[in-house]
Amino acid sequence: MYANDVSNRTVLCVDTGDAVEEMAEAIRAEDGLEPVTATSITEATAQLDSQSVDCVVTEYELSDGTGLDIVKQLRSNDPQTPVVLFTDVSPSEIETASFEEMIVEYLNRELPDAFDRLGFIVDDVITHSAQVGFLVPDSEGSRLDALAEYDVDELPIEESFTRLTDLIADRFDVAVAFIGLIEKDVENFLACTGSDWDSLTREDTICTHSMLQEDVMVVEDINEDSRFANNDTLQNLGIVSYAGANMTNKDGEVIGQVCVIDHERREYSAAERETLQQFAATAMEILELRQSLRNARRTEVEA
Amino acid sequence: MSLSGSQTFGVDSLALSDLPGNTSILLTGDDSAALEAIFYRLVAAPDSEQSIVLATDSDGRSTQRALKKALRGAADRASVLSCEGAARGEDVTSVEDMSDLTRLGMDFSGAFAEAQQDPDPVRAGILLCSTIMGEVDDTRSVYRFLNSNFLSQLRRGNALGVCAIDTSADIGTDVNSTIAGLETSFGARIHVESTGRKQATLEISGLSNHDGTVDVSW
Repeated sequence: MYANDVSNRTVLCVDTGDAVEEMAEAIRAEDGLEPVTATSITEATAQLDSQSVDCVVTEYELSDGTGLDIVKQLRSNDPQTPVVLFTDVSPSEIETASFEEMIVEYLNRELPDAFDRLGFIVDDVITHSAQVGFLVPDSEGSRLDALAEYDVDELPIEESFTRLTDLIADRFDVAVAFIGLIEKDVENFLACTGSDWDSLTREDTICTHSMLQEDVMVVEDINEDSRFANNDTLQNLGIVSYAGANMTNKDGEVIGQVCVIDHERREYSAAERETLQQFAATAMEILELRQSLRNARRTEVEA
Repeated sequence: MSLSGSQTFGVDSLALSDLPGNTSILLTGDDSAALEAIFYRLVAAPDSEQSIVLATDSDGRSTQRALKKALRGAADRASVLSCEGAARGEDVTSVEDMSDLTRLGMDFSGAFAEAQQDPDPVRAGILLCSTIMGEVDDTRSVYRFLNSNFLSQLRRGNALGVCAIDTSADIGTDVNSTIAGLETSFGARIHVESTGRKQATLEISGLSNHDGTVDVSW
């Protein structure tokens, strides 16, 4: 399990009139969930603008639109926040034509156990990041634990990594070379030669796919790959080709990627892929050594 | 809200037994007939179980016939979401447009919630996920569908799930890379290698004491 902070999960409940209180009560009954309420899309929008929420539960029929309007708005700003449509309107009566490919959890509130089930489902979708648009490895919990062992913000690695990405960009003659660590929701770039990327939402990155395969992943042209062709973020960054190698710790957990990006289509030979993998191993070694040094110094101080 | 953790599943015709609840199987192969035969054997519900089948390439009646052929009586214990033809027959829901994953997701969630009003354990399957991948514009929505609906329902319902991918299908991307990714989200994989008419070798991984190769015929 790779839970969020279970003591502080805010759930926005959206329903008309008094019905919202009944919905909120069902949420409040589940440990660790705290409801906030809205009775219209306008109110819900104001709530979403003013605070961060962990999940949205909404009725379909609202006074100023439908629950899917809220989903659409939420997806454009925060695509990973899960939504539960809690309604007695059957799926066949729900107008989805302009919302295709927007996944929500559906729970028929007329089912005998609907209100008991609601809190359980909300807790589950938050805990398991159940509506993210990327594949979550079965070992995600231990992977994130492994990543948390590195005090990345405290380690003097930026200069070393930047020298390394400079070398990689030069070696491959590419527009961008970067080293990124893949967190629960985002990829953080520790060094990036050729651009100034800081972080990207995980579902927008190619690395979240690359990290799932053992060997170096190459995408010669993202426009020819349905996983990335419609990804506006990648398009806006001018990314056309990609190659990524895993940074794998001693226990086999993939915590990050070393990647090269170009603004034009390109291929990578077997030798080039091997070289990129070597660079990824080098980046991992630098990280391990820096962390070991920090741990040793900490032990000295404590002694 | 979920079934007890002691639920196990078996597939006599494939000599599989004691598969724990919340087992997700990625079923792959390039022979669609062999893939289909193995799929229905895995998801066909014996007595005191029930099935939910999302059939992308066949109508409700064909799906029910295939279930019946795999296991006597299994069709009577199944709820079918069919992407082909009209919704004829009991427990068949017609999916008008499989690329409308918003609706498909709600239909699938709804079918699962309905099934869980009954205490009988659930087997669920998608035949073929590769067809859905070929239909949608943005593969991220398929991943969201799998995470949000399929894998989540298996986890919550302690169910057995099978997601079939035809590796010969055009899914608009590198199928091997996609499967490598999918494999990490599923607990087990069965690869079907056709070896002759109504014969295949199954390469099984992730099912503990069943891992290895098994020759099957039907």
